[in-house]
Amino acid sequence: MRSMRDEFVAGAREIAPVLVGMAPFGLVAGVAATASGLTPLQGIALSMLAFSGIAQLIVCQLIAARSPFLVVVAAGSIVSLRFVMYSAAVSPHLAHLDRRWRALLAFLMTDQSFSMTTARFSAPGERGLRHWHTLGASVVLYFGWQATVAVGVAVGAQVPTSWSLDFAVVLTFIALLVPAIRTRADLGAAIVAAAVALVAAGLPFRLSLVAASLAGIAAGMAIERAHRPKAVK
Amino acid sequence: MTTWLTILAVAAVTFLLRGSFILFANPHRFPHAFRQALQLVPAAVLAAIVAPGLGAPAGPVDLSAHNLRLIAGLVALAAGARLRHPLAPIAAGMASLWLLQGSIG
Repeated sequence: MRSMRDEFVAGAREIAPVLVGMAPFGLVAGVAATASGLTPLQGIALSMLAFSGIAQLIVCQLIAARSPFLVVVAAGSIVSLRFVMYSAAVSPHLAHLDRRWRALLAFLMTDQSFSMTTARFSAPGERGLRHWHTLGASVVLYFGWQATVAVGVAVGAQVPTSWSLDFAVVLTFIALLVPAIRTRADLGAAIVAAAVALVAAGLPFRLSLVAASLAGIAAGMAIERAHRPKAVK
Repeated sequence: MTTWLTILAVAAVTFLLRGSFILFANPHRFPHAFRQALQLVPAAVLAAIVAPGLGAPAGPVDLSAHNLRLIAGLVALAAGARLRHPLAPIAAGMASLWLLQGSIG
């Protein structure tokens, strides 16, 4: 059986390649904070407390557009709704831990650590210490992320726009989107959400993201319903 | 001051969403349809985030061949689906965009 330390180190090691892909994203999130008018301290605080690239980017965009407080918080919540589903999927694995452990792992949860955690917990063998694996991956991800965000905050707008670094952000989400499509319903949800996001792009305050996500989910559920095998009488 | 309040509120909300099931809920008590909807969240939300970045990078929707980010994004999607490595879309997408920009600009 692996010790706590083995699990921690294995998790830290497995997340390393993911960190490479996230570096440009962290840089962009840091640059966006500076560009939106946040002070360096505010940019770093946002990153350390919210620890979510997409939420950070949306908050920065909306603050730059002088959106009202509630709109910024609502948009940040909407893009973070996927965490509810991750939370649901991980909760059975963490149910044996005390409240402090669960709060810590919840705070550190990201798209990346979520997919690693579910993979690790589904492997055969003794599961009692596997939360150390999640912790190892999450801690490396957390501090790696903060480091790249801090660099972004510091260099600010000095990154030449010809590098098109902001495109790396879109690509990071493509890297997460591709493995998220496992079923026909997922694919339908993605296509409908993408189409609605484009059609509704003119809506204010990023409402297009809500409309598109809800439309996509509805489409996915309709597809699931249509293909569900009939109940046996 | 409002900025700090916004930062704290967003931090609180993201933590509560992450902790929702882990800290407060009994997953078995949720209705089937709700759990089904939750499973579709990643695909729908991520696609809704990606689409404007590819199809409307400068604001208005542009699905023509002049939209270099759309082409580079489709290359990235294909690379991700084929190679199944987290770095594949990022490498393929950035390389395509730089090549396209170089050959046009």
